[in-house]
Amino acid sequence: MDRNMKILVVDDFSTMRRIIKNLLKELGFTHIEEADDGTTALPMLKQGNFDFLVTDWNMPGMTGIDLLKAVRADPALAHLPVLMVTAEAKREQIIMAAQAGVNGYVVKPFNGPTLKEKIDKIFERVQS
Amino acid sequence: MDESEKLARLAHARALLAALEVDDEAAFAVELDALAMGQRQPVFEEVGRMTREVHQALMAFATDDRLSCLAEAEMPDARDRLRYVITLTDQAANRTLALVEEALPVTDRLMDRSERLRSELAQVARTQADNSKLVTVIQGITEYLDSVLNNGGVLKTQLTEVMMAQEFQDLSGQLLQRVIVLLETLEAKMLGLLQKTHPVSAEKTEADQSAALRQGLGPAIPTGKNASVKADTVKNQDDVDDLLASLGF
Repeated sequence: MDRNMKILVVDDFSTMRRIIKNLLKELGFTHIEEADDGTTALPMLKQGNFDFLVTDWNMPGMTGIDLLKAVRADPALAHLPVLMVTAEAKREQIIMAAQAGVNGYVVKPFNGPTLKEKIDKIFERVQS
Repeated sequence: MDESEKLARLAHARALLAALEVDDEAAFAVELDALAMGQRQPVFEEVGRMTREVHQALMAFATDDRLSCLAEAEMPDARDRLRYVITLTDQAANRTLALVEEALPVTDRLMDRSERLRSELAQVARTQADNSKLVTVIQGITEYLDSVLNNGGVLKTQLTEVMMAQEFQDLSGQLLQRVIVLLETLEAKMLGLLQKTHPVSAEKTEADQSAALRQGLGPAIPTGKNASVKADTVKNQDDVDDLLASLGF
């Protein structure tokens, strides 16, 4: 896994963005940018050559699931690995995210090792 | 059903049959209506009674000052308080995160420095193996540096735990935001109902206010929309001291 890859963290709570950013830094990632909902994230993704997207679900403006759908619908972004980190915990929602093409799903509250495990898994699959 | 009503119904029923037998459409319709009327009357009466009750309940509801107080003052106040809770937890969580972000690299530097010093000393110990006094001192320092490295690792794990614990802010914030949306919906509905039934807004009475003061208002919220909150509330300890001083304390 390339530790220099560019990551976008999307969450409407600055606290959560900060936590995820710190955890990613601890895992050795250094190129991390932030957005506070799908509406701001999508143009960044379209312009920014991101390698990985970590997004919350429940956000004002554009939600994480809509962002995921928009990413999958854009030919230039369709293959971007996406990890959802969210408090939304209904089975139906997880199925919805899976059907929309999510690569991993972490339910809050979560911890560092879980995040690492999911990221490792995503990139193992992407590379194989 | 009393006897005369029964007779009247029977008469209508016979007339209905007769009209049917002779194919008299008009007479059939009239008799059918007459029969059905007996059935409909109680329903109409019931609807009328319910309408009156709803009207009376609505009027009582509208003239009850508690409703307007709830819709116009208490619900917006509750909403502002919840927003303020989100702000407070956000500030607390971000402050904690900032401190953790500062403490982690400090720990890293301590550990790096100890690691380097440890290997430098090991080299000295090798080249000065015959100086037993020096070797003993180096051994003591090395043991200390080992403990710094171990404890540094523990400290880093704990700092990460402190960071993860701040996750509560996102979760509690999301829950509070839902309650705020619920309050806003309720407030809008109640205000709509009030405007329809009771266009004049009721002022909070002085008795209500002093009762609320006795009960305690909870922490003052600086974001309160109510301007009087700012004017009649102290901002900090200096304000408290000034006020007490002005009262001769």
